[in-house]
Amino acid sequence: MSMFSPFNTTAMATETNQETGKLEFFLDVPFPSSREATVALRSLSPDREPRRGGISKQLSVSGSTLSVRWSADEARILRVSVNSFLDHLSLVVETMELFGPPVNL
Amino acid sequence: MTVVIGFEGSANKIGIGIIRDGEVLSNPRRTYITPPGQGFMPSDTARHHRGVILTVLKEALEQAGLKPADIDCVAYTKGPGMGAPLVTVALVARTVAQLWGKPLLGVNHCIGHIEMGRLITQANNPTVLYVSGGNTQVIAYLERRYRIFGETIDIAVGNCLDRFARVIKISNDPSPGYNIEQMAKKGSRYVELPYTVKGMDVSFSGILSFIEETVFAMLVEITERAMAHCGSQEVLIVGGVGCNLRLQEMMGVMCKERGAKLFATDERFCIDNGAMIAQAGWEMFRSGYVTELEDSWITQRYRTDEVEVTWRD
Repeated sequence: MSMFSPFNTTAMATETNQETGKLEFFLDVPFPSSREATVALRSLSPDREPRRGGISKQLSVSGSTLSVRWSADEARILRVSVNSFLDHLSLVVETMELFGPPVNL
Repeated sequence: MTVVIGFEGSANKIGIGIIRDGEVLSNPRRTYITPPGQGFMPSDTARHHRGVILTVLKEALEQAGLKPADIDCVAYTKGPGMGAPLVTVALVARTVAQLWGKPLLGVNHCIGHIEMGRLITQANNPTVLYVSGGNTQVIAYLERRYRIFGETIDIAVGNCLDRFARVIKISNDPSPGYNIEQMAKKGSRYVELPYTVKGMDVSFSGILSFIEETVFAMLVEITERAMAHCGSQEVLIVGGVGCNLRLQEMMGVMCKERGAKLFATDERFCIDNGAMIAQAGWEMFRSGYVTELEDSWITQRYRTDEVEVTWRD
């Protein structure tokens, strides 16, 4: 799978966790700087999943990479959440392209 | 001098407005219009907003003649409303707040309508009738809260009108309510439901006149009751249904009988818009409110009386 990212290529992987039986999906998005990855993190993390049960995700920043980890009961639920996240990510990235770079604080 | 930019997109309108000390510098808006017979669904609406929001943002800045550095605060609609569109708009607001290094402020959509109505009309302390596709409430300010005196027990009056428009396939352009109003003007008879049939023909304008007369009379009654309870001499109508001239006329009759004053705004400000969020944000920001990014999640349910109105006595 490949995803368009204006900054660089993005790594993704899906696995089944043998212990929990849940599906796990990992997404790593590189940004030009740690600051910009953090802007994306803080924009994308506040909202809760619309679907309360069966899906959870964790966002974090390491260096200049935004990492997202999903854990889901079913593939369909996982797909909906990941698709939705990718739409949101692309909106945040486009906003950063048009109105960035971040000001010096 | 305080400049606030406001982002609104909780239903099918996406608007971004800029206010500087009570002056509306810009207020561009786009409406997602569905074909006749169809309402708007959350994911399609979010997609519509996603497609235009950055263009509207640029327009708001250009029309105001401002740069991001000139903005003091970024306000956005925290709720209530449809989840997916709310998220789309909040994402952009959070992002630009961080890019520009400005504080963020989550605003209650209903309070946005109230504060815009107060600004435009300069009504002092009115009983507020808030009527739109998503909300129907009678509100009065008391001791730091906008108290909900009365509300719909099921659907909003605008929703009732919109659903009816869908059944008889009235155009949604510019809005179903507007088209109902135009057609209802041509009706001359008040007819009792359930239906009007003349041989092979049916009369719809009569039904529409009936719908308007009945639902609007209900709204006038509850507003009058709230006014009596509060000893109020002012009524302010806000929300998209507030554009309806027949509603304003009927409310005006009641007000005149009570020696009260009626206030309403035009379609620029009673229909959802960004400047109303900016105006509520302006009041809130100046009285010390700020929303931390971690707390900036949107919410589909957000009661008008949940907010402490620190900017009024």
